[in-house]
Amino acid sequence: MDKKYGMYICTGCGIGDALDVEALGAVASEEGFPVQQHPFLCGPEGVALIKKDIAEKGINALVIGACSRRVNFDVFRFDGCIVERANLREQVVWSHPRDKFPKLTEEEIASGDAFDRVQMLAEDYLRMGMARVKKVSLPEPYKLESLSRRILVMGGGMTGMAAALDAAKAGYEVTIVEKTGVLGGHANHWRQQLPNQTPYETLMAPQVAEMIAAVEAEPKITVRLETVVARIAGEPGDFTVTLKKPGEKIEFDVPYPLPPEMRVDEKGNELDVDTLQARYQEYNEGRADILTMDPNGEKFGAVVLAAGWRPWIPEEGQLAHYGFGELPDVVTNAQFEKIAKEGKIKRPSDGQEAKRVVFIQNPGQGDDSDFAYTGAVTSMVALKQAKYVREDYADGKAYIFYQHMRTSGQMEYLYKSLQQDPGVFMTKGEVVQVRQNGNGLVVEADDTLLGEKIAVNADLVVLATGMVPVTVDDPVVNLAYRQGPGFRDNDLFDGYCDSNFICFPYETQRTGIYAAGAIRRAMTVEESIEDAAGAALKAIQCIESVNRGVAVHPRSGDMTFPDFFFQRCTQCKRCTEECPFGALDDDAKGTPKPNPARCRRCGTCMGACPERIIGFADYNIDSIGSQVKAVQVPSEDDYTEPPLRILGLVCENDAYPAIDMAGLKGLSFSADVRLIPVRCLGSVNVIWIKDALSQGMDGVFLLGCKHGDDYQCHFVKGSELASIRMKKIGEALASLALETERVAQFDIAIDEYDKIPQIINDFVESVEALGPNPFKGF
Amino acid sequence: MAERYLVEPDVEFINEVTRHGGGDLKKCFQCATCSVACPISPDNRPFPRKEMIAASWGLKNKLLADGDIWLCHNCGDCSTLCPRGAKPGDVLAALRIMAIRAYAKPKILADWVNDKSKLPILLAIPAILFIVIGLITGLLDFTPEGDEIVHAKFFSTWLVDIMMIPTSFFAVGVFAVGLKNFIGDMHAQCLADGRTTKTDVNIKEVAQAFSRVVLTILKHEKFNECSENRDRATAHMMVLFGFIGLFIVTGIFFVVLYVFQIHGPYSQLNPVKWLANIAGVSLVIGSVLMIKQRLNKKDQVSTYSDWFLIGLALMLGVTGLLTEMTRLGGMAGTSYFLYFVHLMFVWALFCYVPFSKLAHLAYRTAALTYTEWSQRK
Repeated sequence: MDKKYGMYICTGCGIGDALDVEALGAVASEEGFPVQQHPFLCGPEGVALIKKDIAEKGINALVIGACSRRVNFDVFRFDGCIVERANLREQVVWSHPRDKFPKLTEEEIASGDAFDRVQMLAEDYLRMGMARVKKVSLPEPYKLESLSRRILVMGGGMTGMAAALDAAKAGYEVTIVEKTGVLGGHANHWRQQLPNQTPYETLMAPQVAEMIAAVEAEPKITVRLETVVARIAGEPGDFTVTLKKPGEKIEFDVPYPLPPEMRVDEKGNELDVDTLQARYQEYNEGRADILTMDPNGEKFGAVVLAAGWRPWIPEEGQLAHYGFGELPDVVTNAQFEKIAKEGKIKRPSDGQEAKRVVFIQNPGQGDDSDFAYTGAVTSMVALKQAKYVREDYADGKAYIFYQHMRTSGQMEYLYKSLQQDPGVFMTKGEVVQVRQNGNGLVVEADDTLLGEKIAVNADLVVLATGMVPVTVDDPVVNLAYRQGPGFRDNDLFDGYCDSNFICFPYETQRTGIYAAGAIRRAMTVEESIEDAAGAALKAIQCIESVNRGVAVHPRSGDMTFPDFFFQRCTQCKRCTEECPFGALDDDAKGTPKPNPARCRRCGTCMGACPERIIGFADYNIDSIGSQVKAVQVPSEDDYTEPPLRILGLVCENDAYPAIDMAGLKGLSFSADVRLIPVRCLGSVNVIWIKDALSQGMDGVFLLGCKHGDDYQCHFVKGSELASIRMKKIGEALASLALETERVAQFDIAIDEYDKIPQIINDFVESVEALGPNPFKGF
Repeated sequence: MAERYLVEPDVEFINEVTRHGGGDLKKCFQCATCSVACPISPDNRPFPRKEMIAASWGLKNKLLADGDIWLCHNCGDCSTLCPRGAKPGDVLAALRIMAIRAYAKPKILADWVNDKSKLPILLAIPAILFIVIGLITGLLDFTPEGDEIVHAKFFSTWLVDIMMIPTSFFAVGVFAVGLKNFIGDMHAQCLADGRTTKTDVNIKEVAQAFSRVVLTILKHEKFNECSENRDRATAHMMVLFGFIGLFIVTGIFFVVLYVFQIHGPYSQLNPVKWLANIAGVSLVIGSVLMIKQRLNKKDQVSTYSDWFLIGLALMLGVTGLLTEMTRLGGMAGTSYFLYFVHLMFVWALFCYVPFSKLAHLAYRTAALTYTEWSQRK
């Protein structure tokens, strides 16, 4: 593209009052950018001015010196043009008001040795903006050769059926793959279901039969019973899926990566590539490699993962104090449901009527948490099952001992209606023991609301055990991905196929695979059906995004994708291994194979690559590097006491908006800091830091999301990987005889704008204490 | 706290609480707002939170012997602030009626007194008794002589006292048995719960506790701590002092009659008569105020037991005053009839008091005294 540059400076919102706009214009002119200024650039007149230039002068690479890129992005979007926003408002004039950062006096100007920090800041941002537009290009979409719009739903339970129906209603072909011989899943074994409509006070007949009938009547849905997924290969929009009968062993069963202990020799050293490859093939004997596509595989565009759960069964002796396993009349809620489904509630031990039933909600022994994998569901199930007791026997008594009674949403009404039943007795309390007494049971509880140690006689005791997501036992999705067949880090979520994407439900760590229902967290049917709709819509969004060649999530609509300059690839595999989404596969030699439709465009590969051969059209090593180099670093040649120059590479998802908000709230921070937004800290390549320090900048900090178990990173691993790289950069700094303290990484959440001044100023102070960078001025 | 308590919920008890106006008790979710809101609940083991769960678990024996239900003065602060509308105030009121019924023997009378359909029978009993005994003994003269209206000529004082004195002994007896059992149960319960450690009964201590309690009752100190229903204190005080006044008057005239042999009617200038009139008016105004307050109070349940008591108090006062007024007005026939009706109500009061809500005067006083004496923990 033949670039024609233009610089547009807005003087509104206080910019014109605080800054010397003529001097700003001069900075642009130096670089050969024609300059226009306007007092209200985002108004119709201002926009018309820009559009006129685009139309008449053919300007197509613009730097707009005005407000933050996070506002007015729609106003300043000009199709076919590269637009860079220099943030003069939030991050210059609003965060550096003239009462705290005064303009130079006449005398100071006359002395020639004084400088205006705020003016310098603004000028640098313009220079950085200009540097960027020179280096980036307009992205072109990545298009698949063939696109499948079919949706694969894994699991034929309530969630899977609901997702399939929703997707089919939206016009998409769906295939449900169900492991067992029938649709319906666990719901087939229930007597009644929790209510799903107002007034939420009574139980309802299970919806499962109705749902199965609807699925069977829907022509767009194909049901494959007694079928499992052997492997899913390829990328969204073009998944090649091999299906098989459960238990079958076939060529296209998914291969597993070598476990860590097999990747090293006896001394613990990493094996060479050829040996690893040999071991890998041996380990996956009889299975085709992930890059081999099954010629008979079915094509799908996206996957809804609704494989559900299995009831948790205590291990032997685990609940000895409740007599589980010892006493036949101590059962789990799943077992009780089956008893109730068969008819009147009877005791398993002798088939006698069970009129006094005690429901225990937690494992006790000093632990007040509920059983594992319960969420709020088991509280509500206990209410449902207590109702069975009362339905079956007019003189029946149902006791619920809980530490938490969780009735989410409207289900509070069910709780209230159960409370009103004179035969239902509930109390918070810790059940300490269940023991046999004659031919009945005695349940003993401490710390109850009744104010003392109590005991109740029972015929049957029901333990409110949880719903274990099937991902605990098995990868389930069987992805033919180099990183492995399942989801990584699932143990952070107790095995649930969930993520810390607080705002992004359904999203898994694998693009195109959307989880719904109890595989994500314990949920009721009502919640699962709602969840299914969400996942179905995500699957559709994925297919349609892939079709347009744009990212699905979280950079929805981003047309860029990582581009590899393979000639210089050293096959180090860092990109393949570090990609948080497993987007990259590699061949036997280790050359990465990008799957752009799996990619979320975070740039972690770009940050990882030691050869710096990965980049995006509008975001690459050179574009950011040039911005870094565009910062003017004054030395003692310029001023007696030159100001510091500190580079901040800030995550554009949380940190950058937090800084904007700090500006909006009138919070100030050092004017000697130059901030560059990055897609994710994971995309930060250490070369930028080296560039900054070698040109005399005094310090560099990274500001991004929290990492660790409770990470907040939009790209899961980005900030964590950055922190690892920052630790390693210490050695490089030492070799340059620079203090490691000159580089730091800080966490921030989007709402923590109030912490911004302290974080930045503290770092500036610590760098100041170290003294200026010795390379300054070279 | 030592023993593990085997809970055997009594579902019928829960239904009974419901019938006595505590129908919302199961709505309680044990937040204890009630115990915090209550101005008179003690800091240790405060009521009514624990009574609410005990009631919803049907723990009959615990609740009937629970002295704390009597510490409540039913001001309604808890019910107003209850986030679930469980109305702890009404539940405690129901429990008190049930406690009275449980301890008052014979049981059938307790059932009848608290059963609306049995009201005609209850009122017919004194009427028939009077007429029958009057006719048998000849102490009932349907054509009293003389210009002056003298009620004693119609109803012989003997006839009245033949009826009233044994009846009042009966009432005292019923109370004595009931209170003995109640106090015994309450004490056992308090010892079991650790609410008290006192085992030795020192009469002096009890007497001191009693005198403190009586003073508190007379001053209505507890009532005045309520915020929601404070105006009830005035009405209650008028009724209470009305009864006390009339009791004193009755006592004085009893002595005057039997010791000094002076028959009524007595002069309106007599100071005792003043007291009688003031007490009668106080009783009527107090009861009317109570009725008005109960009718206006939509968020508080008023049961038959409540109306029985207020109605009785009102009718006593009204018939008494009307009898006097018609006598002074020379309306002989009307006055005699009203006197008859009045006597029926007086008898009903004596006979039914241990079974009705009015028995709270004995149970509450006993519970308050016990609590004061036992140094409730």
